[in-house]
Amino acid sequence: MISFFVSVFTFTWLYHHSFWYRSEDADGYENPDEIAVGVFPKHNDDMRLEVAWTIAPFILIVWLTYVSWVPLDAVWSETGEDGYHGEECEDGQSSNNQLDDYGIVTSECYHVIEITAKQWVWAFDCLDLATEICDTGSDNIEVYGTVPLLSLKTGETYLANMRSEDVTHAPWFLGMGVKEDTLYGAQIGPSEYNWPTTVWLPISNVVDDQIILCTEYCGDAHSVMAGKLVVHQ
Amino acid sequence: MNRKSMRTLLVLSAIAMAMIVSPAVVSYPTGIQGVKDSGCNCHGATTSSEVVPSIIGLPDQYNYSESYEIVVSFVGGPASPANSNQGGFNLWVSDGELSPSDATVQSYNPNEVSHTEAGNDQTSWTLTWTSPSSDRNVEFILHTNSVNGNADGANGGSSGDMWNKLTAKVSPPVLVLEEADPFVVLSTLIVVSAILLAFTLAYVFYRTNPESFTWDYFAPWIAGWLTTTDHKKVGTLYFVAGLFFLGVGGIMAMMIRIQLAVPGNDFLTQDQYNQFFTLHGTTMIFLAAMPLINGFANWMVPLQIGAPDLALPRLNAMSFWLQPVGALLIFTGVFSGQGADTGWTGYAPYVVSETAHMGTTMWVAGQIMLVASSTLTGINFLTTIAVMRAPGMGWLQMPLFTWSILVANLMLFLSIPAFGIGLIQVYLDRVIGTAFYDVSAGGDPLLWSHLFWYFGHPEVYVVIVPAFGVISEVIATSARRSIFGYRSMVYAMAGIGVVSFIVYGHHMFTSGMSPTLRFVTMLTTMLVAVPTGIKIFNWLKTMHGGSLVYRTHTLWTLGFLVTFTLGGISGMFFPSIAMDLHLHESYFVVAHFHYVLVGGTVFGFYAAIYYWFPKMSGRMLDEKLGVLHFLVGFISYNALFWPMHRLGVWGMARRHHTYFVTTEEAMGALPIEAAGWNMFISVSAFIFFFSNLIMVANMIKTLIRGEKAPPDPWGGWSFEWMTASPPPTPSFDPHNLPVLTDANEHIANEPGTFSKLFNRLMVSEEDTEEVTH
Repeated sequence: MISFFVSVFTFTWLYHHSFWYRSEDADGYENPDEIAVGVFPKHNDDMRLEVAWTIAPFILIVWLTYVSWVPLDAVWSETGEDGYHGEECEDGQSSNNQLDDYGIVTSECYHVIEITAKQWVWAFDCLDLATEICDTGSDNIEVYGTVPLLSLKTGETYLANMRSEDVTHAPWFLGMGVKEDTLYGAQIGPSEYNWPTTVWLPISNVVDDQIILCTEYCGDAHSVMAGKLVVHQ
Repeated sequence: MNRKSMRTLLVLSAIAMAMIVSPAVVSYPTGIQGVKDSGCNCHGATTSSEVVPSIIGLPDQYNYSESYEIVVSFVGGPASPANSNQGGFNLWVSDGELSPSDATVQSYNPNEVSHTEAGNDQTSWTLTWTSPSSDRNVEFILHTNSVNGNADGANGGSSGDMWNKLTAKVSPPVLVLEEADPFVVLSTLIVVSAILLAFTLAYVFYRTNPESFTWDYFAPWIAGWLTTTDHKKVGTLYFVAGLFFLGVGGIMAMMIRIQLAVPGNDFLTQDQYNQFFTLHGTTMIFLAAMPLINGFANWMVPLQIGAPDLALPRLNAMSFWLQPVGALLIFTGVFSGQGADTGWTGYAPYVVSETAHMGTTMWVAGQIMLVASSTLTGINFLTTIAVMRAPGMGWLQMPLFTWSILVANLMLFLSIPAFGIGLIQVYLDRVIGTAFYDVSAGGDPLLWSHLFWYFGHPEVYVVIVPAFGVISEVIATSARRSIFGYRSMVYAMAGIGVVSFIVYGHHMFTSGMSPTLRFVTMLTTMLVAVPTGIKIFNWLKTMHGGSLVYRTHTLWTLGFLVTFTLGGISGMFFPSIAMDLHLHESYFVVAHFHYVLVGGTVFGFYAAIYYWFPKMSGRMLDEKLGVLHFLVGFISYNALFWPMHRLGVWGMARRHHTYFVTTEEAMGALPIEAAGWNMFISVSAFIFFFSNLIMVANMIKTLIRGEKAPPDPWGGWSFEWMTASPPPTPSFDPHNLPVLTDANEHIANEPGTFSKLFNRLMVSEEDTEEVTH
């Protein structure tokens, strides 16, 4: 919406001036700035206007940053009380996902799963979770062939620990609009690399079956490195 | 042509021939493409006509998706039932699927089968070929070995064995044209472009003296260009090289668009597509945009500041000549089918992995040369602008194009060494086995991302800021006004230069960086909109109260304001991280940066070409052709890139060699409408590509019989309009430099704080006189 208003403002100004001040050949023009070759012309400025269109965009940007802050917190939420998804669920405990006033999914607890990438295939691991919470397998999608499948339950939230066995990859959960790099070195590197990247997967009622693509270029078959997320009740 | 020139020409021809022939000699017969291309060398190094392979059961014309049982066999050679083994085979097919019929045959992949251990003792094998479901010209390549069954250890039991090759073709139900190899198409187009360039060169030479034309003067004439240090000639060399590679990058873009025109297309293989988008990016940024900027900068900066030439003319020539050599290295891999396939960003650890193509090494080497070139160029322009301004020209009296080149080169000079260091590290990792990016040895792949984007983001501004300078010049001249807010324009450009160094983290939002840093980067990235907004509003206000005369350069400038504003607004979606997480690496990003780099930088260049071409050539470009170029180019450009925003939101990922749409039969990543939009984009892309030929035709027509240009055809104020069109050499008499006067009432020629500080670093006139005496 803001983009629309900025565009309308700018383009109205542009089109008005483009036509209003149009001239065939500029003959008879009085040359108010005394433009002549080899002469630095008179300044054409207005301090109040220039300050105004420095401050106005700045205020707009501060406001945009502020409104972007909440989703930023949610996307990389901390675990524990300060986060949106609590602590890891106990056996048999459910996340009980809810939507808050900002439209962000909050959970009582979360389940941990693992995603491993290598050229050019995904591997999903539900660890010790019961199959009604998380399941894996494979599925045949006509155009992609046989792809790994991850089946998650509506109303539950998952924290995926991720790593790569070769180069950098990034799973893009298309229908949820999230992606994060998987980095090589999570297990074999020095201690400072022993942190897999993570991604939150809160499965709300609006999340549907979707394709998972790789969106960090990883070589020859990058474009067909696909997976499938299935949502079950 | 004299004997010395002839001898030089012969030596150069011999070297060129040797370069063309030697790789073929070295690569035969083992090659790099495997058995299918170069034959089987495991049973003797060369072919033998004694062995006669055959394929039985292939139809002349296949039916869609039908299975054919075929028998491959051979006769001749040392094979005999008495031997312990008799032979083997390898069969490759371009389309359809090969599958074994029994245990004597094994499948490597749907396109390639071979014999098994159990199938070693026979001379014929049975297998099944399932034909394609669409019309394809299918090619079979069969290699058969006739073996004597010996086991002499050292030679792997291959001495005395023989092999031969057979190719066969099967037609589709509906005849289609033969498909050309995309690399052959690209190479052919590059060679054709080079030949056209050579003809143009010959014609330009002819035009230098058509009345008494003789080839005798060609060698000194061309030598004059090859060894020139004159800023105008070097600028022209940059300009021609930049336009040439703009065409090469454009050809690659067209091949990418053919591939993406329909879902599931296989015009390019994944392997080829990966190389094409890598080289498209590298070519457009480093071999087209940067040389075009340097072309204008070389031409105009000395003229605008009233200097006879650049401060370091020989260094300037060296900066240029590093570029074509670097370009040759960058493209070396392509001609072996192993061009760099890393994306222009070349992310580690893929760039140092074994799966990256061999041509990546030369791609890196070529870019190291470009880094050297840009660093030297930066030194040269900073020095020239600092010390060679004409009397009366203070820092805040420089034309805004010169300011833009100063800011761009300062940014480049401060950022590109980091990129150079990264490239050298990658080169060493790939060549001598260092481990800068090898995680298992303690290397850090994210270091590359930091080094690359520390340079890469300012680089985006390095190519857009000069376009800002051009637009400032053109819009003020076209409106017959002084630019609105000259000083705030300078401060805004400098502000963009500073902020550009602290925003690069937004390219790494998904790399696992700290949330605190993500927030800081979100804020700084949004801050770029402030100085950019100042510039756009100042340009608009410049028209206020003016007398806007529409010329082609004015149209491109107004077009720039539209497209750059849209590109700027779409850029504001990325710092908002929740949105970035969806849009990152999607076609929304492709749309955004093409709106900025084509709608911004390239439109700025077009404005510059129409604005300064009369000064550079002494001839006025045809306005009607110019307007036609603008109308076709502007409309097709928007039709090409605007729909990409929608594709990105839908989920079309960039750097994917194809995409699939959801149909009733199958689940794809995109809605079915995406197929139609992609076709629309591809058609628009071709119109945009060909629209640029109108400009090239306009230039050629103008050079042959264009109207003579006066010194100041548009009514500009800066020094370049004081000289003749084209300017003499040296551009200004060193003993009679022009003096800038100021129409403002204040005493502008008193040095400011910055000038005083700078002057203290310089050798004073008294000291110079002392040395002279």
